[in-house]
Amino acid sequence: MDLINIFIKSAFIENLVLTYFLGMCSYLAVSKTVKTAFGLGLAVIFVLGITMPINWLITTYLLSEGGLLGMDLTFLRLILFIAVIASMVQLVEMVIEKFSPSLYNSLGIFLPLITVNCAILGGSLFMVSKEYNFAESVAFGLGGGFGWFLAIIAIAAIREKIKYSNIPAPLRGLGIAFIITGLMGLAFLSLLGIDPAAL
Amino acid sequence: MSKLLEFVKRIEPKKGTFAHTVYDGFFTLLYTPDEVTHGGTHIKDGVDLKRTMVMVVIALQLCYVFGTYNIGHQHFVALGAYEGFLDGFHLKLFFGLGKLLPIFIVTHVVGLAIEFYYAYKKGHGIEEGFLVSGALIPLIMPPDLPLWILAISVAFAVWIGKEAFGGTGMNIWNIALLARVFVFFAYPTTISGDQAWVAGVTSTTPGGEAIYGWYHNLCNGIFEMFGAATFEASAKVVDGFTGATPLILAYQGGWDAVTQVYSESQMWWGAIPGSIGETSKPLILLGALLLISLGIGSWRIMVSMIFGAAVMSLLLNLWDATPFMTVPWYYQFWMGSFWFAMAFMATDPVTATSTNRGKWIYGFLIGFIGIIIRVLNPAYPEGWMLAILLLNTFAPLIDHYILQSNINKRLKRA
Repeated sequence: MDLINIFIKSAFIENLVLTYFLGMCSYLAVSKTVKTAFGLGLAVIFVLGITMPINWLITTYLLSEGGLLGMDLTFLRLILFIAVIASMVQLVEMVIEKFSPSLYNSLGIFLPLITVNCAILGGSLFMVSKEYNFAESVAFGLGGGFGWFLAIIAIAAIREKIKYSNIPAPLRGLGIAFIITGLMGLAFLSLLGIDPAAL
Repeated sequence: MSKLLEFVKRIEPKKGTFAHTVYDGFFTLLYTPDEVTHGGTHIKDGVDLKRTMVMVVIALQLCYVFGTYNIGHQHFVALGAYEGFLDGFHLKLFFGLGKLLPIFIVTHVVGLAIEFYYAYKKGHGIEEGFLVSGALIPLIMPPDLPLWILAISVAFAVWIGKEAFGGTGMNIWNIALLARVFVFFAYPTTISGDQAWVAGVTSTTPGGEAIYGWYHNLCNGIFEMFGAATFEASAKVVDGFTGATPLILAYQGGWDAVTQVYSESQMWWGAIPGSIGETSKPLILLGALLLISLGIGSWRIMVSMIFGAAVMSLLLNLWDATPFMTVPWYYQFWMGSFWFAMAFMATDPVTATSTNRGKWIYGFLIGFIGIIIRVLNPAYPEGWMLAILLLNTFAPLIDHYILQSNINKRLKRA
């Protein structure tokens, strides 16, 4: 039950994009069509779901004072997190290139850029600051990824729908995408305030 | 009448000026479309976008009449005078008008000013989109909302919600609900809690005083001429009155707490505090029937929304953890603005899904999530506004996948 709560909370209530505004660059850049957004969303779910528990293991058993090395190395946290994320992204990239070259081509530079997607690093840092255990960190990672996935496919569908609208010239492209994101944030506020643990 | 039309045509301002835009807006509203059948046996009705919207406005009229009267009724119930629904008829009616008309006028002045400005800027005719939004916005606002807040929220909704997306028919989120959600998050104390729903008193707790101004003095003068009862400036809110809506009571103490204050028929007919136009269920249902029979409102969305809300309430009944969850599932429909949201908000053809299968999913999820927000979310007393906005966000996505599955099916058949 606790794990489901964490999943729902990180997916809807504390949505990484719409509540914390993390991972905006790929969210805005790759959301022009639903198909590529779907692919990138899945990649982010995967990377978040894998890196979160690995980073948990690293912080608990390697970096903390009670860990294997026996000294407090938490100042290395950021570097190690990035390294783990980068290697996971490399893995995803190879898999996608092998199995879906068309998606690989349409994602372009934004696939390797997941490495520096702040949603993923931010997720790991939240995980540390919230002091989750292993299972909880898996739920948190998958939930956060799912929330990001939902947000990007929703905005992609909206952007496909308004492709031929007569939007005022200065707002076309990124401008309207920012406005859409803000209004989506308003809509997602609907679930803010529900405390799954209190029920 | 033809002479009048000639006169109107004679005063047409020069094309390309702002005055022409305004002129054109009113001209098309009043005199077009004048296309009728040309020969042959084909029947051509002149229903265009504008006529469709006027139908919705007509469907809302009963809510307007009842809402206006109910503002006055709630005011006098709080003061402990004229407690029968029809007692003090003229006082309640004129009090309600004094509250509703400013709200109505400000909504339209602000909304139409922006609309006209953009029509002038873009160099085409006035779009009719504000007709329905302008009729809906006053109905979903609390009667005592300060007018400047109303003006800002309408400007936000029309500007950011509609014109930024390219005008009428291009918006992703429901304009009226955007206006309300803006008030809700920017000025929460004016639109939630016990104090918001009874107009014209300094406070809804006992001892609060009635607020009367020049308008009421003017009315008093007229009433005295006819020897009728007048507004009493010395009136005070009676003991035991709280101003709490059924939803607040249900959240605190379940269905029993609600029925101690409001009877079932009172809630059904709508003599309860609430947003201006959403309290009377039968009148809203009449409007909904009119919309369905004209083919404007989608019955699929309405039916699936009822179904979704019923399913979620049943599940909560089984869960049975807080007082609100114990409210029998069918009584969830007695409280709050479910029917108004169902009839006029969720069925908005622009922001809802456009595929038939999509409409079932869309309505069901609104009902489902709306009850979740209403019952489980302590931060918000009512959920339909936010549930509909949330599903507006996902409507294009639902449509996208349904279209995709249809395409795939045909590809397989080919």
